[in-house]
Amino acid sequence: MANPMQQFSVETIKPLEVAGYDVSFTNSSLWMFLALAAISVFLFVGTARPQLVPGRWQAATEYLYDFIRKMLDENVGPEGRRYAPLIFSIFIFVLACNLLGMIPWVGSFTPTSHVTVTFGLAMIVFVTVCVVGVWRHGLHFMTLFWPKGANPFLGAFVFSIEFLSFLMRPFTLAIRLFANMTAGHVMLKVFGTFVVTLGSFGALPYVFGILPLAVVVALTALEVLIAVVQAYVFALLASLYLNDAVNLH
Amino acid sequence: MPQFDFGNVFWPQIFWLAAAFALLYFGVVRLTLPKLGKVMDAREASISGDLEAAKAAKETADAVNEAYQAEMNQSREAARSAIAEAKAKAAKSTETRLAKAGAKSDATLAEAEARIAKAVAKAETEIANAAAVNAQAIVAKLTGVEPKLDAAKSAVAARN
Repeated sequence: MANPMQQFSVETIKPLEVAGYDVSFTNSSLWMFLALAAISVFLFVGTARPQLVPGRWQAATEYLYDFIRKMLDENVGPEGRRYAPLIFSIFIFVLACNLLGMIPWVGSFTPTSHVTVTFGLAMIVFVTVCVVGVWRHGLHFMTLFWPKGANPFLGAFVFSIEFLSFLMRPFTLAIRLFANMTAGHVMLKVFGTFVVTLGSFGALPYVFGILPLAVVVALTALEVLIAVVQAYVFALLASLYLNDAVNLH
Repeated sequence: MPQFDFGNVFWPQIFWLAAAFALLYFGVVRLTLPKLGKVMDAREASISGDLEAAKAAKETADAVNEAYQAEMNQSREAARSAIAEAKAKAAKSTETRLAKAGAKSDATLAEAEARIAKAVAKAETEIANAAAVNAQAIVAKLTGVEPKLDAAKSAVAARN
């Protein structure tokens, strides 16, 4: 029987090496580029001829873009709009990777189920937040961790905790998405193997496979929901962190 | 779990993630979204412009309506005051005419009363004279002495 973890194995398609580092093109890379291709089609068709009264494709792209812009308006304020392309890129990349991974096919792969990928995305957010914070406020950015009006001793204590939690952000951001994706896919695969084992019961074939199959269908719907929600959560947290950098408090 | 086999999965994935994301951000999103943003802003601007124009038109209409109402009120007021004036004038003229007529009739009345009083006085004198003459005659018949007319008159007057 197939191991439920096998779906996460990274298979090398074309071995490559740059400066001593292994940068082989793998199935993970392939699915990231499939996501990129899907996003490109979506965006280039949607914005081919932008019109005041949008067509279907344009309305769809606008809906997503407007969603991100509104989120930034609410969480960051008027300053947030300039970061809309970045947050939009993160959101749509995570969303595309999550959703493409839901294709029920043996070769499909979910890049966001790898903590390396989610950590890379989280680091993009983290580095952006640090750069924006220091660029806008200089060393004043450090007051983000200082509780206002506290005495120096308590303040230093809270400062260290706040600073540590700030440093933990990329990890929590990465692990949240990775754990959600991994858990969902493992569960799907486990119930998928139940369909086969119960359905191949010799005396009464297929009948006992129906129940786990129904569970897999329901779980697939749930996982599609989670795929969308986790992309949203990732983008929402990114915009909240960005708010810290832009507005300090 | 293959995910924690970092020796084999870290660098290939980080490298291609960086490549894919850089392509996505600089090659796709940066090229397409600003176009979309421009259109969305233009639409927002045109909608808010239309709304503003509608608001201005409504304000004009309101002002015109207000002016119309004010003019209507003014003319209504004017009509009301004209009616009141006419009424007062009519009342006044009636009063004066009534007063004139009243004075005339009063004068006639007074004249008539005076005439009646005169007539009464005359009649009374005549009656008194006649009574005196009768009394003179009665006394002459009874006593044979005819009293003077003046004495008879005063006697009659004293009897009354």
